[in-house]
Amino acid sequence: MNPQLTRRRFIKGVIFSGAAASTGAGVYLAANAQPGSGGAERLITLNINGRNRPVDVMPSETLAYTLRYKLDLTGTKIGCNRGECGACSVLINGVPNYSCSVLTHNVKGKAVTSIEGIKGSDGSLHPIQAAFVTENAPQCGFCTPGQVISAVALLNNNPRPTKAEAARAMSGNLCRCGAYEHYINGVLRASGQIA
Amino acid sequence: MPSHDVMPNMELFQPTQVEDALSLADRFAERGWLVGGGQDTYGWLKDRTKTTEALIDLSAISSLRGIKETEDGLEIGALTTLSEIGGDLKIQRSYSLLSKAAEVVASPQIRNIGTIGGNISQDVRCWYYRRGLSCYRAGGNLCYADTPEGMNREHALFETSRCVAASASDTAPALVALNATMVIKSTQGERMLSAEDYFVGPSIDIQNTTALRPGEVLTAVRLPTDWANASFYYEKVSDRNVWDFSLVNVAAAFKLDNEIIQDSRIVCGAVQCTPRRIVNVENAIRGQVKSQKTADLVSDSATAGAKALAHNGFKVPLMRNLVKRAIAA
Amino acid sequence: MSMHIGFDFTPPDVPGKVTGEIKYAEDYKKEGMVFARLLTSPLPSGRVAGIDATEALRMDGVVGIFTADDLPPVPPPGNPSLASNYVTYVGQPILAIAAVTEEIAESAIQKVKIDFERRPFVVDPLTSLAPGGHNAYPEGNVLVRTTEEGPEGSPIRGAEIRDVKWPQTAIDALKSGKEPIGGEFTTEWSFGNIDEAFSNAEVVVEEPFVTMGYPHHSLEARTSMAYWENGKCYFHGSSQSQSANNNGLARLLNIDPADLVFINEATGGGFGSKIGAYPIMAVSGNFSRVLNRPVQLRITREQEFYIGSARSGMQGWIKMAANANGKVTAVDLVIVNDGGATGGGSGNSSAQHVTVAYQPENMRYRGISVYTNTTPRGAQRGPGQNEMAAVLAPLADKVANQLGIDRVAFRRINAIDSDGFQGGSQGPVTSAFVKEALDQGMRTFGWKEKLEQPKENGSKVRGVGVGIGYHGAGGRGYDGLVRIGVDGKLYIHSGVGNLGTYSYAGTCRAAAEVLKMPWNHCEIIRGRTDRHLPHSSGQGGSNTIFTHTRTNWVAAQDAVSKLKEIASSEHGGTAEDYEIGEERVFNLRDPSKNLTYAQAASKAIELGGKFSGEVAPADINPITQRAVEGLAGTGLIGVAKDNLPGQGQPPGVLVGFCEIELDRDTGKYQILDYTAIADCGTVVHPKNFENAMRGGAVWGVGLAALERHVYDPQNGLPANTGLYQAKPPTYLDVNLDTQAGAVNIPDPQNPTGGRGIGEPTQGASAAALASAISDALDGHLFNSAPTTTDMIINHLAGNEYSTKSLKTNTF
Repeated sequence: MNPQLTRRRFIKGVIFSGAAASTGAGVYLAANAQPGSGGAERLITLNINGRNRPVDVMPSETLAYTLRYKLDLTGTKIGCNRGECGACSVLINGVPNYSCSVLTHNVKGKAVTSIEGIKGSDGSLHPIQAAFVTENAPQCGFCTPGQVISAVALLNNNPRPTKAEAARAMSGNLCRCGAYEHYINGVLRASGQIA
Repeated sequence: MPSHDVMPNMELFQPTQVEDALSLADRFAERGWLVGGGQDTYGWLKDRTKTTEALIDLSAISSLRGIKETEDGLEIGALTTLSEIGGDLKIQRSYSLLSKAAEVVASPQIRNIGTIGGNISQDVRCWYYRRGLSCYRAGGNLCYADTPEGMNREHALFETSRCVAASASDTAPALVALNATMVIKSTQGERMLSAEDYFVGPSIDIQNTTALRPGEVLTAVRLPTDWANASFYYEKVSDRNVWDFSLVNVAAAFKLDNEIIQDSRIVCGAVQCTPRRIVNVENAIRGQVKSQKTADLVSDSATAGAKALAHNGFKVPLMRNLVKRAIAA
Repeated sequence: MSMHIGFDFTPPDVPGKVTGEIKYAEDYKKEGMVFARLLTSPLPSGRVAGIDATEALRMDGVVGIFTADDLPPVPPPGNPSLASNYVTYVGQPILAIAAVTEEIAESAIQKVKIDFERRPFVVDPLTSLAPGGHNAYPEGNVLVRTTEEGPEGSPIRGAEIRDVKWPQTAIDALKSGKEPIGGEFTTEWSFGNIDEAFSNAEVVVEEPFVTMGYPHHSLEARTSMAYWENGKCYFHGSSQSQSANNNGLARLLNIDPADLVFINEATGGGFGSKIGAYPIMAVSGNFSRVLNRPVQLRITREQEFYIGSARSGMQGWIKMAANANGKVTAVDLVIVNDGGATGGGSGNSSAQHVTVAYQPENMRYRGISVYTNTTPRGAQRGPGQNEMAAVLAPLADKVANQLGIDRVAFRRINAIDSDGFQGGSQGPVTSAFVKEALDQGMRTFGWKEKLEQPKENGSKVRGVGVGIGYHGAGGRGYDGLVRIGVDGKLYIHSGVGNLGTYSYAGTCRAAAEVLKMPWNHCEIIRGRTDRHLPHSSGQGGSNTIFTHTRTNWVAAQDAVSKLKEIASSEHGGTAEDYEIGEERVFNLRDPSKNLTYAQAASKAIELGGKFSGEVAPADINPITQRAVEGLAGTGLIGVAKDNLPGQGQPPGVLVGFCEIELDRDTGKYQILDYTAIADCGTVVHPKNFENAMRGGAVWGVGLAALERHVYDPQNGLPANTGLYQAKPPTYLDVNLDTQAGAVNIPDPQNPTGGRGIGEPTQGASAAALASAISDALDGHLFNSAPTTTDMIINHLAGNEYSTKSLKTNTF
């Protein structure tokens, strides 16, 4: 064995698999909760929407799964589970990512913002959300949380994007209803370019 | 087909040091799976068409990230994301060919986590292979795509050998055009490969698209000053302008002296299993003026030797036109 | 002057959509809930001879298995919830396994061994019709209806499967663009005398065409969750419709509709694939009953491709003639539809599009729908009409060009007006103002100016196009139900589903209009059966605006009558002496004699009988009867069946104008401009109308340019099950500056003046884009929807492009 491979170094890095998942939130699984081997390493704390949330996470679990099934944050939608639609978009350290295609164990120590964390602390709508309401932008609404996430990230980086810049920044979010133009109008409205 | 989409249970290793990653890669060899951004990996695993005992997640190794200047150009850590590459001013200044290629991969969110190492090392996109059929590449003894009725619109024109899958990477042709060097490490040490040698076709290894051996990790890509600030041309043609893989792409670098082409490297993607250098065209245009006229004269020869399958014949004129545009631009 | 109709408002579910707080079926959890996953067929055709699930059931955490044996058998060509004796396409569900986690359920699925008996299969209709061609079912390949077809999306009843073969000469003729003489059809109609018209025509154009099937891929897959309490089934599902779902779902669960609580606050898209109850709903509901636990059946994206329905493909031939004045004198149309594994095809609707778009003086239609071992087909946004629009537009351009008539002028000459007709029966329409729409569109788009600008710029070439989209847009005879509460608020009970079109909200504005009620004193009650919702149409066929502004109008009128009666009983005089306004009912001569709506509601409860819903009208549907019973005694109840007079079909018509710049090196083009002008009567909700134009335009790009099924004829495997392979348009594939407008002339048969317009928005966009592509390429006809990048490159390079074989599911 490689002498450099010390136990100490790996304490942070190794998660062992277990047989069956337990869950931090869903009572519906409690009957089957059983610790896997090395279960202690599966208990991690995630920074979600500014709060620290302890959660028991399987080694290969995706963030979308953890959010929806362990933390009951169901605003994040699973449209394809393959990184092909964007309905599951969340911010990781401010950057939009597909939560269906990120391992939960990869976001330890990072700030995750899901759609539930976009509203103001007083419960008011984010300017993007308010503009999307004014534009009646969502159609079926299933892609909307992801569209909001991408639009918020865009305006954080570029407060007055052109239409082309907005389209490019939003382009990783598929809308099967075809509400693209309404969302773009929402971005332009929220950035003060249309009133 | 049976349909799965939940990640199966497996072991996960998250080393923070390269040495630990190499040890793990060595220990697990073919039984382990190196993962960077995971954007190709997770689909395979969710589909359960491929499996592994252990995921070795490299993303916590900070030394594999970032872009730094070296004596002979730039070194890009293999875990650097495509967004980081697209937005990097050093790359934009001297190697804008790669910036452009990185910016047209997949979608913004995929570029935000997808890495340069992963983009160039991704597996082929043949849909038969991805469905988990037992084709040559999957260890079987037939090809489903290379038949008169096979649905092979996205497949290869050149250098097919039992397998007709095409390279899916948008950045690999740019790295070949820039004559990049791949830095590969293992517990045995370090070795370098030119980008051209890094990519391997089915006649050499039908189950892998790169020269990486079990236990090896691609740690960095080096861009030599040799082709810095050349005249570049990059274009990707795909059905949709987001998510889709290239139908054909072209990455070209020209060294010019008063509009005269001193040297060039012209590379097309999605036409064979590896990025294809169009050496005959490079030779033909050496010493010629970089112009529409030169382009018109040589573009027909860009596709010499192409063997179209039943449904990918359109790639021949498309490739010809892209090479023509690269020279004429 | 209206208060609400024609003004913007925010539908109440929009804030919940931008915050993620609104719930879709998959977002609900329930104590004790288990996760079911499907095992789907690897084979295109065969029979399940045996299932060995021993190993799967032995796994820790697995709680049960559910197979076709647990459900009543469904004879072919019905679409079974779970297949057994008839496996007819790759991906067809065979069984479900439930476990305490999804991961365990999926791992258990992998351990099930199925003993399959293979059967021959086919993935192309013409291949099946050819002599010796395989059939999708052992019994045959063609559906023959023995009773009349129901409305779009309704299950097939009264039909049988027959084995139909055409002579090879007919197959060859169709493929080469000639009449398939000797081919047998199952649907035929004609009017006038086409032979005479063809012989007298100035111009005759004759072409083959193909349109390909493609999946709906609603972004919310059809996940459901069901549980049972006190003999009732609580079913969280994803449907376009609410009340129209009840009876079908109750049938699938084998319960009385009164024992079903269908909960569907929001639906992540449907596009025709979720109009009523659909087969897979039977699995979660019945599995939950068997296990006595809540069951969530999550459908993966790939499974949504398999069971989520798809547009039928067409293989066809059309011959069109016009006289020197540009009037279309004759059309002869043949359509072979691809019914997939189940489904009826929509050729008749395609033919109907031709009648509305060009009002031909003489026409014949002959059609046949052939089964293939591909995914089940059903209604998809303008089924038949929209794909016909896409292939017909460039062909109509060819007729116009040969006559030397401007392409818009040609359409204007043939445009439908209020005296026009639709369909083979040449039935009347309620009103139509398509000439006005064309004139308005020409001005907005700048048609003449665009025709005069230079066409070529290096490798790039411009093209402009025009197209017409049409769909029937309204029904009659459903029920409305409103309640004025003792708080004085108006509660509008709606059985309309919420699929993202906001028609549920727009139609409720009609009740507020009649009762002169400020919108912030109105509340829409909807989303669950136990909220007492009336009988409603299914939310398909663009019908809702027309249909349910009428029902809400008549229910509100009933409430107004009751308000006046109550006021007269309180303050004397007759009902005619009273009027309503400012949330009061008052005496016209002495407005001090009045009751607030709140007071009137209390009075209604005191009076009982019809006033408070203790007695309901005799002609309302049992669903509405139950709803009224549930509300009895809670306020003033306005309830009525829509018996408003009138006849004819309300048409939804849209004209589209498109400009593109096409790069001849790459086959790629950019849409520079798109203008859509609707003839849909009065626009009820302007902001939402504009958005509907834009969304439909995106769908048009998908139909005309990108989306298609790809099946391997060697093994029946679909190549493009995922979204990245199915290629729905993205932000960067469409025009983001749609100019939307409406003629805005009220329809005389709707009290608000409105008609529907959802579906034709796609057809007009697809047609205008196809017309523009053809224009850019000197009038070349691809005769194919979609026209993909490879076809354009091949055409420009002089290569034969492969769709000339008219394949509906393959390259």
